[in-house]
Amino acid sequence: MAAKAASTPTTYSPSPTTQKTKPSFFKNDNVDWVRPDGRGFHQCRPAFFRTGAVNAAAGSAYAEFGNTKVIVSVFGPRESKKAMMYSDIGRLNCNVTFTTFATPVRGQGSDDKDFSSMLHKALEGAIMLETFPKTTVDVFALVLESGGSDLPVVISCASVALADAGIMMYDLVTSVSVSCLGKNLVIDPVLEEESYQDGSLMLSCMPSKYEVTQLTITGEWSTAKINEGMQLCLDACSKLAKIMRSCLKEAASASED
Amino acid sequence: MGHSNASGDLSSEMEVDAFRRLFPLRFYEHHLAESIRPDGRALGKARDTTIELGAVASADGSALAKIGLTTMLAAIKMEVMTPSKESPDEGCIAIDFHMPPICSPLVRPGRPAEAEPVVSKQLADTILRHVKHFYGHSLLLDYFFKVLYSGMIDLKDLSLVSGKAAWMVYLDIYCLDADGSLFDAALLSAIAAFSHLQIPVVSMNDDGKLIVVSEENGEKDIVNKEKRKLSLNRIPFSLTCVLHKNYILADPTAEEETIFETLVTVVLDTFDQLVYLYKPGGLVLAFTSSVQDCIALTRQRLKELQKILDESVSGMEVD
Amino acid sequence: MLGLSLGEKQFIKGGIAQDLRSDGRKRLTYRPISVETGIIPQASGSARVRMGATEVIASVKGRGGEELSTELSVALQRCLLGGKSGAGAAIDLSSLVVIEGKICWDLYIDGLVVSSDGNLLDALGAAIKAALSNTGIPRANVASGASGDGQPEVDISDEEFLQFDTSGVPVIVTLTKVGKHYIVDATAEEESQMSSAVSISVNRQGHICGLTKRGGAGLDPSIILDMISVAKHVSEQLINKLDSEIAAAEADEEES
Repeated sequence: MAAKAASTPTTYSPSPTTQKTKPSFFKNDNVDWVRPDGRGFHQCRPAFFRTGAVNAAAGSAYAEFGNTKVIVSVFGPRESKKAMMYSDIGRLNCNVTFTTFATPVRGQGSDDKDFSSMLHKALEGAIMLETFPKTTVDVFALVLESGGSDLPVVISCASVALADAGIMMYDLVTSVSVSCLGKNLVIDPVLEEESYQDGSLMLSCMPSKYEVTQLTITGEWSTAKINEGMQLCLDACSKLAKIMRSCLKEAASASED
Repeated sequence: MGHSNASGDLSSEMEVDAFRRLFPLRFYEHHLAESIRPDGRALGKARDTTIELGAVASADGSALAKIGLTTMLAAIKMEVMTPSKESPDEGCIAIDFHMPPICSPLVRPGRPAEAEPVVSKQLADTILRHVKHFYGHSLLLDYFFKVLYSGMIDLKDLSLVSGKAAWMVYLDIYCLDADGSLFDAALLSAIAAFSHLQIPVVSMNDDGKLIVVSEENGEKDIVNKEKRKLSLNRIPFSLTCVLHKNYILADPTAEEETIFETLVTVVLDTFDQLVYLYKPGGLVLAFTSSVQDCIALTRQRLKELQKILDESVSGMEVD
Repeated sequence: MLGLSLGEKQFIKGGIAQDLRSDGRKRLTYRPISVETGIIPQASGSARVRMGATEVIASVKGRGGEELSTELSVALQRCLLGGKSGAGAAIDLSSLVVIEGKICWDLYIDGLVVSSDGNLLDALGAAIKAALSNTGIPRANVASGASGDGQPEVDISDEEFLQFDTSGVPVIVTLTKVGKHYIVDATAEEESQMSSAVSISVNRQGHICGLTKRGGAGLDPSIILDMISVAKHVSEQLINKLDSEIAAAEADEEES
């Protein structure tokens, strides 16, 4: 952080920086605190998907969960880079970037390297790579606005974009995260909740196959809590998959007309 | 599509799509002879254009502009800076144009698109041009030059506390879908973002730093009570045309840009003055007359764009 | 990628299925672990860990190059630093505070892979644990009278060192799934045959401090939960083994 601050010494954002100390209501487990957007602890934000956001791509999708807005484009299958060795299965190449205005403070959404490899891991188990040997499918994501749970939204949106591009998959990949705040688990956290969280659990799965493609946990968790968190995510994932399916169906029936 | 088959040569035996791919120039010339373009437009006609203001909640001003399929998202973030000694009562504007890998199959991560620095420079030239050297001779002269030559934004409007603090305006434009005429769409989105911009209300805290306060709190030390909007004078609008033989095609798609290599971009402002003219080489040498035709087309387009912008701004105010 | 013949691949997979791996180990047996501490005199703390042919060095303090690939670094961070609020962190960050709100120590942990034969993350985790327990932070005395504004003067002692409490530092257990079974401490050959792997960091209390699924195919949620309980079980032995190795290494260092 220190290095970042030093590189832009001349300007600063006038918006009040998030407090370092937790607001007391997050800590207090006895008081029924209300989430910043008024949701229940186990209630997800309304999810919106639309395919065909980018015409120049083979397939694409736009996703909006509250203030989290992302676009994912899929290109290919196309020729792998010359330097790549021969491969009898296809390759998947993922990249996630943030716009400079995605975060409250300009240009802070920069853990994209980590996001790119996490996106790759979440998707690779679901794609039938053997259906496009010797070639590469590129999955590029741009986070237009970061409103919390960015990576799960990118992953879900990417699988809709892959379906839009006609890439063969075993199942859609859906992803949901929970934040641990004190004793409570809150699902689909917003940016503010993420900045105060004691721990997080992100789960990506193929709901129809009932298989987990990616799971990451940070913070200290007991096994029982992991169990609870995973179950919350799995339930939310299968609900999310319904929304994604209906979006794809709509797009398919619209193109038939 | 019918008439491309009518000309009798190879094209009659081939499917239209295949012919279009194999002989793009011939395909287009058949169309041009009939004064129509494959997407049904007349030669001098631009594609449908829309503007949506306030697309990004985390920015102080933002807009989404679409010309045909070309989509641009512009957003403005305001930060505070200490002005330079040479111009203690002026702010600063930084403009960046980005082509993320999502927008086109030609852009790969880590390899910036060729158009990125070009369009960035063009936008800076168009929006930031201002003359400092003429100030200070006489009041009348000052006024004269300000009206005639000043840019769209007076950097003095960005001052907060003379010599101490001024606004640094970060304008970032992202291309979300690239289908030709990138500069036109980028400029339109930038202007729309500026007209949507709401400057945050700030007051000085004890450390001498400026922080955002909400207007309702009725705080006393608000530094910029009156300056919530930037006044935009002389708004520039642009139109890109491709030239081929005697034909001029306004607002080319990506396909048209690659087939016809001669481009002319004209920027006029609302005072009907030529702001910028760009013709980067190409095969066809532009005759003065065709440049004048381009300017005439831009003049028409300016009226269209101004109307679209006005409608979107007034639409915002109703909400 | 290792060039393995079909026969070799079958041999590795078959061995794992029968609980007899190609180097004679059982599925949940580690290779011999050896720990040396204090190997880099310039660092505040350092350790070398060998697990079979995998050898890594970890040092604390000082900025280093980017020897570690980002992926490993991120995984390590996730395991060591806990949540954003600091809850469940392996290191008690408050022990790094010199003056609250003003000055604190910045710890830089560098890992260096000397030779790689699989299971890098676990080896690095062990090396960092050893290096941290080897770390002495110089005692900082705040000069009196400088309690007002501005930078307080801090006098750093050359002789007195504060030792870290490393009992909370977790160990990392990576379970690699080959065929239907999963193994600990996989060699590079075995890793090339994996279908998926899960790295779990567990502290002495048996709490999970971090988890990442690495690579490949999907897993049934119940298998993941099963893996977590296996990791907890294995981690107990690993922590004990490491603690005694570290203690022995420290004793060695003091003698010499």
